[in-house]
Amino acid sequence: MRRALTMTVVATTLTLGLAACGSDSDTGSGGSGTGTGKGGGALKVGMAYDVGGRGDQSFNDSAAKGLDKAKSELGVSAKESEANTGEAESAREQRLQSLVDSGYTTIVAIGFAYAKSVGKVAKANPDVKFAIIDDASDDSKGDNVEQITFAEQEGSYLVGAAAALKTKTNHIGFVGGVQTPLIKKFEAGYLAGAKKVKPSIKIDSTYLTQLPDVSGFADPAKGKTAADGQFQAGADIVYHAAGGSGAGVFNAAKAAGANHWAIGVDSDQALTADPSVRSLILTSMVKNVNVGVYDFIKSVKDGSFKAGKREFALKDGGVGVATTGGHIDDIKTKLDPLREQIISGSIKVPTTP
Amino acid sequence: MTAGLEIGTRVVQDAPRSRRIPTKYLLASGVAGLVLLSLLRIVTGANDIDSGGIISAALIGAVPIGLAGLGGLWSERAGVVNIGLEGMMILGTWGAAWAGIKWGPWMGLVGGIVAGLVGAAIHALATIGFGVDHIVSGVALNVIAPGATSYLASRTFTGLQGGGPTQSPPLKQLPRFSVPGIEDPLTDLERKQWFLLSDVAGILRGLLTNLSVVTIIAILLVVATWWILWRTPFGLRLRSCGESPVAAETLGVNVYLYKVYGVLASGALAGLAGAFLAQVAANAYREGQTGGRGYIGLAAMIFGNWRPGGLAGGSLLFGYTDAARLRNAGSNIHALILLAAVLLVVIGLWQLLRRRRVVQGVIALVVGVGALLMYLLTDQVSSELAATTPYVVTLLVMALASQRLRMPAADGKIYRRGEGQ
Repeated sequence: MRRALTMTVVATTLTLGLAACGSDSDTGSGGSGTGTGKGGGALKVGMAYDVGGRGDQSFNDSAAKGLDKAKSELGVSAKESEANTGEAESAREQRLQSLVDSGYTTIVAIGFAYAKSVGKVAKANPDVKFAIIDDASDDSKGDNVEQITFAEQEGSYLVGAAAALKTKTNHIGFVGGVQTPLIKKFEAGYLAGAKKVKPSIKIDSTYLTQLPDVSGFADPAKGKTAADGQFQAGADIVYHAAGGSGAGVFNAAKAAGANHWAIGVDSDQALTADPSVRSLILTSMVKNVNVGVYDFIKSVKDGSFKAGKREFALKDGGVGVATTGGHIDDIKTKLDPLREQIISGSIKVPTTP
Repeated sequence: MTAGLEIGTRVVQDAPRSRRIPTKYLLASGVAGLVLLSLLRIVTGANDIDSGGIISAALIGAVPIGLAGLGGLWSERAGVVNIGLEGMMILGTWGAAWAGIKWGPWMGLVGGIVAGLVGAAIHALATIGFGVDHIVSGVALNVIAPGATSYLASRTFTGLQGGGPTQSPPLKQLPRFSVPGIEDPLTDLERKQWFLLSDVAGILRGLLTNLSVVTIIAILLVVATWWILWRTPFGLRLRSCGESPVAAETLGVNVYLYKVYGVLASGALAGLAGAFLAQVAANAYREGQTGGRGYIGLAAMIFGNWRPGGLAGGSLLFGYTDAARLRNAGSNIHALILLAAVLLVVIGLWQLLRRRRVVQGVIALVVGVGALLMYLLTDQVSSELAATTPYVVTLLVMALASQRLRMPAADGKIYRRGEGQ
């Protein structure tokens, strides 16, 4: 009984402790941004990254690429800051507000974790233009907010079709990091694409963790266990939408031996993953966050900014399929018609499995 | 120093002898379990429930939990509650990756242990030196460790090929061992899907092939912990500090020193758990990769009644159920529901008819029949439900075994020298 009580106390202090940690370190990292630009009347862009920040070789780096392009082509100046693991809502609000306070009038928030803070800070600063990546909920809605999402299901549809065309065992797999509506879009597209090509195909789906436990995006050990299970059950291609846990999926493909493949996600992982597994990456579902970021900054710069929802789809180059390694060149003639049908709208890809 | 330990007016005893189960019953229940598992596999068609792959995955899942739990055991047997295991483990993941990249995989293990020791030294200084509440100190460590690690990782891994602020470059692998010449015959036998023989082959293949050297070290550490703590004078003194430090002091034991030993051993083991996670299970450091395994290790220790064998069993149970749901939740967990249903009905009947415990018996029967219905009415288990399996199974075992858990008597109490006077 006493232990139960202690545990409760621990849980409470832990939550409080983490919250405190998040907001404390915020002042440090918030101020550590870099200020570059051409001075004068240049547009001042504030970037608030998700956990990991610049250099994560994935989601945030893609956003940084968009900012870098805006810096060199549009001559904007920028300040960057990043989120901490497990930080409190107030820490994110404070980060956005401090960007606004230091004179940055165009703010990009990377990741759905910022939804509520963007909604709140945007309301308090009606003259500042905001963009949020990966959220289209009412939380972040506002007259000065562009809500940028991507049609992950469309890119996933194409890699699903590629997997179904390439499988020799008629059995493929999917590993999702955390079971959220966002990751379900990946799964839904993948299932639909694979079944379109081969209706009889067997597809295993596994999610590593359930909300509110988001460790599934950073646990390669679980990723490997899940993918091992799918390979050993007979699958020969596994697609992951599991962030950092994906490294485990690649290792599982390597351990499974010849003729076993993995499909990467977000960036072209045949270029960014551990060199010893790059040759096993059949293709990657690329999500060009950079396109969204650049487009938003450009629209503010030339005065064409429009608040509201904006989805970057296959037709805008917001999502796509990587061809590094040339493993899917032989099925290009079968994938291209599908791509065109998605773009023309004659194939409607579902967003829930 | 033989029959128990009589200190002052209190008698501190080993676990009561009368509760020890004779070896022949253990063997018989092992065989019965195998037959049951084999029958289950054939009835449900879930061939993965005792395959070599799942056993091997269960071992990999169990090792970090077991090592963390073993760390908790050392500390709590010396009377210091160590909720900071998670933090020490996080430090261990970074230490292992950093030292591993600099000096090779073996030094990586050492780096993990040293990083864990640093965390433990802080905990020891706070709790034993300054008399800070054990929980407060441990929680503080769990808050400091992720922050410190995240800072260190971004300082050390950014700019390396394949590294970044939240991940290390891929790490070099430690050696793996297999008993020679058995892998192929066992795999063949397993594929035949014969009753009992294939099951034994699968389990043996999982336990005897492709074992990481750290897994072997972990198993040896469980045995070594038992031997040191329960069979040597050093262990007796250390445990006496957890049971009655005042009495130990009157017999001339340097209680502070023994508590420090316990906490440091705890940090080393938790650091090794982190090293295993980064080097063996994942092949890289990744921010947040411990995912609460330190807390689960602590739970495994309590589950195991503060004994090495018990906590090893708890870790394996947890590792197995987690592997089962990650590998193929649909059919594995579905099959395990049938097993749970049958076991619950049997236990319920036994409680009712033999032990005349109406309440426990009826509850077990009702839950068992409910599980049976669930098995019959569904073909698959949804992934939301499957994710809870490891926790549900642990709860069920705890509830039904109704074992009397006994923590060390002075566990978590702040001790000051001379306070008994």
